[in-house]
Amino acid sequence: MANLTRVERRGHLRRAAAAGPIREFLTFTLSVDLYAVELTTIREIVSPPPVTHVPRAQHDVLGVCSVRGVLVTVVDLRKRLRVAAPPASSRTRILLSETGSGEVVGLLVDEVRQVIRLGAGEIEPVAAVLGGDISAHVLGIGRPGNDPIILLDLSSIIGD
Amino acid sequence: MVDSIDKAREEFFSEAQEIIETFSRNLLALDATISEGVKDPTLINEAFRAVHTLKGLAGLFGAVAMGTLSHHLEDLLDELRLGRAELTRAVLDLLFGSIDVFGKILAAERAGSEAIPPGLDELVGRLRELGGSDVPEPGMVTEYELDPGMLAVLTEYEEHRLRSNLEQGLRLYRLHVKFDLATLDKALEEIKDRAKRHGEIITYLPTGESSSIETIELDLLMASHDDLSILIGALASERIIVEEIERRPQLSAAFSSRSHPHVAAERVLSVPSGHPRLGEEAADLALVSPDRSLRSLTQTVRVDIRKLDRLMNIVGELAIVRNVLSRIADRVRAEGQPQISSELFRVHRNFERRLTEMQDGILEVRMVPLGQVFERLSRVVRQISRELDKEIRFVITGSETEIDKLIVEELSDPLMHMIRNSIDHGIEDAAERARVGKPAAGTIALNAFQKGNHVVIEIEDDGRGIDENALMQKALRLGKIDLTDREQLSREEILSLIFLPGVSTRERADDVSGRGVGMDVVKTNIGHLGGVIDVQSEPGIGTKMTITLPITLAIVSALLVKVGEQVFAIPLNSVSEALAFDGRGVRVVDGRELMGLRGQSLPLCRLARVFDLPEENPSGRKFVVVATVGTKRLGILVDYLIGQQDIVIKPLGKSLAQVRGFSGATELGDQNVGLVLDPAALVEEVLLSGESAREKGLRAHG
Repeated sequence: MANLTRVERRGHLRRAAAAGPIREFLTFTLSVDLYAVELTTIREIVSPPPVTHVPRAQHDVLGVCSVRGVLVTVVDLRKRLRVAAPPASSRTRILLSETGSGEVVGLLVDEVRQVIRLGAGEIEPVAAVLGGDISAHVLGIGRPGNDPIILLDLSSIIGD
Repeated sequence: MVDSIDKAREEFFSEAQEIIETFSRNLLALDATISEGVKDPTLINEAFRAVHTLKGLAGLFGAVAMGTLSHHLEDLLDELRLGRAELTRAVLDLLFGSIDVFGKILAAERAGSEAIPPGLDELVGRLRELGGSDVPEPGMVTEYELDPGMLAVLTEYEEHRLRSNLEQGLRLYRLHVKFDLATLDKALEEIKDRAKRHGEIITYLPTGESSSIETIELDLLMASHDDLSILIGALASERIIVEEIERRPQLSAAFSSRSHPHVAAERVLSVPSGHPRLGEEAADLALVSPDRSLRSLTQTVRVDIRKLDRLMNIVGELAIVRNVLSRIADRVRAEGQPQISSELFRVHRNFERRLTEMQDGILEVRMVPLGQVFERLSRVVRQISRELDKEIRFVITGSETEIDKLIVEELSDPLMHMIRNSIDHGIEDAAERARVGKPAAGTIALNAFQKGNHVVIEIEDDGRGIDENALMQKALRLGKIDLTDREQLSREEILSLIFLPGVSTRERADDVSGRGVGMDVVKTNIGHLGGVIDVQSEPGIGTKMTITLPITLAIVSALLVKVGEQVFAIPLNSVSEALAFDGRGVRVVDGRELMGLRGQSLPLCRLARVFDLPEENPSGRKFVVVATVGTKRLGILVDYLIGQQDIVIKPLGKSLAQVRGFSGATELGDQNVGLVLDPAALVEEVLLSGESAREKGLRAHG
C-alpha cells in the first residue's frame, strides 16, 4: 500500500516536471474556429436526432431530443457562445454531457475533429482580448501547434 | 463493493424508517387505549419488539445515537410491559417524542453527520428516570401444579402475564395439542383466536413427545375465568386436550428449578448469544418450529422505486415497438399481403395485451395506501392539539385508497401544513366553541377516495372558516389585488387569494403555523405532483380543502394534438372532451376569448399564440380540447387531433426548469419527442393571471 503511493507520487512528479499533468481534450469547430472541451466531461458524440423545439426556452436552447430513451436538452453552442459567423461544415454533431443534477445536456457543434493531449505548459491563461460573456466559459488557450484552440469550461457553459 | 455498501445502507434506512413507523402506529393505538381506559398488553409488547428490532439494526450499522435511544426506550417499554411502570399520558408523550428524535437521527445518519441530534440527550435522560428496574417478587405462581420445566423457560414477560392473571383470580389450564408441522402456524393462530374469547394464552412449548415427524405436540398454558367444562366445549377436539392446572395445597420448591436443564430450555440457549434479549425472542418465536426462524418471515421484497422507473421506461420503449409493429402491419396490407398482415395484426394485438398487463403490474407495485402518510398525520394532530391545548377529533376515511408511492412521499408535507393550519387557525379555542354552541372537540376530517384516474383528498374542519374580509385586506396591503378587483371578485376568487405568496389570515406569527405557513408553497408542491387544490369555506361552519391528484405519475394516457408542425401531448386525465371549432360564437370579454359550451362560457387559449408558434390558417377550422383542472375549465385551441396514446412522461432538465406550461416530454416513436402540456399551469396562466391577460387583450385590440 505504502509502496504504491510512493510510486504514484513519483510518476506525478516526473510529469509535472516535464509539462505539467497531461489532459486530453476533444476538439471541434464552430464556424472556422477550433474549440475544445476536456474529454472526460463528454459522455458520447451523436449525430443529431430530430430535435423538438421547446417554446419559451432560452434562445440558445435548441430543444429536446431523445437518445436511446434518455431525454437530452440540446444547447446550440454557437448561440450560447455568440459565434455569429455561419457554420463552415455540415457534419454537425451533438456532444452529450451530464450535469451534476443528472440532466443530460447536448452541445450542438459544427464538426468534431480529434482528441489532443495538452500539458500544462501548452495551455495559456485566458487572453484579455476575448472579454465579454465568453471569457467566463474559457479555461485557456491551447497551443499544441500553430493554430490556437479555445479551451472551454464545460461546467460553466451548461450551468452546472 | 461500494455499491453493495450503499445498498445495504439504503436498506438500513428504509428498514429503520419502517420500524419507526410501526412503532409510531403502536403508540397511536396505545393512545387510543388510554382514552378508552383499557390496557392492551399485546400493544405494549409490539412496541417493545419494534424498538428491540431497531436496536439490533442500529448495532449492525454502528448507528450509535439510534442504538442509545432504542436501548433506553426498550428499558422503559420493558418496565411497562412487565407492569412495573404505569402507562400514563406523560409517559406516552415521552414515547411520542422519541419518534421525532428518531427522525432527526435518521436524517443526520443519512447526511453522514456525527452531530448529536437536538433533543436526544434530554429525552434519554428522562427515559432513564422512568426506566429504573426492581426485581419482581415471586408471586403465587409457585402455588400451582406447574411443570418446573415450563416455568423455567417462561420469559420475564410471560411470567408477568402469568402472575397478573393469577392475581386477577383466573384459573390456569393446560391445552395439550397435536398439530401437523405443515399447518402449524395456521392451527396455532386458529386456536389462539378461539381461545381469545375465553382468556389469554400465556405461552406454548413443544412437549418433545411427538409420535411422528410430521406432527408436533405442544403444551399451551392458558389463563381463563371460565370453567373447565366451558373450555372443553369451546376448544377441545381429538387433537386438543384441555386440563385444569390445580392449585397446590401448600407451597413447594418447584420454583427453585429455574436452572434445571430442559429440552426446550436448551434450545433457547443454543441461540447465538450477543443480544441481551435474543434468547427471549427465540423463546417466543423459534420454539414453535425450530427451522422457521431461518426463513424470512414475510414474502415481501423492498424495491427501490428507481428500479421500477427503469422498468417503466422499458415498457415505454416496448410501446414504441408496438406502434412500429402496427405500422408494418399496415404497410404489408397495403402492399397486398393480407395473410401476413392479419398475422402481424394478431401478434400486435397479443403484444399489446401483454404489454398492458405488464404496465398495470408495474403500476400496481408502485401503489401504496394513503394510510402510510395518514398515520404520520395523526401523530402530528395529536402533538399540535396538545401544544395548542385544543381538543381535536381526527377522523380518517379512505386510508386504503392507493396512490403512486412517489406521490405519497411528496404529500406528507403539504398535508401536514394544511392540517396545522386547520388546527391553529380553523378550530376555535374551547371558550369560543362553547360560546357558539359547537361541541368542545373540534373535528378535522381527512377523507380520501378514488375518482376515475384521480385520487381526491379532502381536509375538512368544523372551525370558524376563513375570514374573507381579512384575506382581502391582506391581499390589498400586499398589492396582490387593487380596489377595483375588490368589488368584482367572486367568493371563490377571494378564497383562492389564500394561495398567493405572503397572504396569511393571521398577522402574528407563532410556533405552530408560523406566518400562515405558505399555502402558496402547498399549492406549488401539489402542482408539481400534477394535482390541484381548491378551497371552500363557510364563516362559522368550517373550511374544506380539496386536493385532486393523478393516481400515478409514471404513465399517463394522453391526447396527441398538433399545432403547426409541432405535436403536443395533453394528459387525458385533465381532458373532458374535444370538439370541432369553427370560430363562431366567440366573444372577447376583458381581453379574454370565450366561447359558449352548453350554456356555459368556456375561456379559450390559443396554443399557437401562447407558445408563439407559427399558426396554421388562424381563422380556419380547428379543435377545442376542453381541459378540466379542479373546478376550472379551459378550452385549448389546436390545429389537429392526432389520437390517444399512453406515454411515459420524462421531466424536462434543470436548464429548462423556468419554462412554464409543460410537465415534461415523451417519446412518440421514430425518435421524435413531444412536449407534454401541463394543463394546470396553463389554466393558471390563462385564467388566474387576470392582469397579464388584460394587458395582452389591450395589445391585441389596440
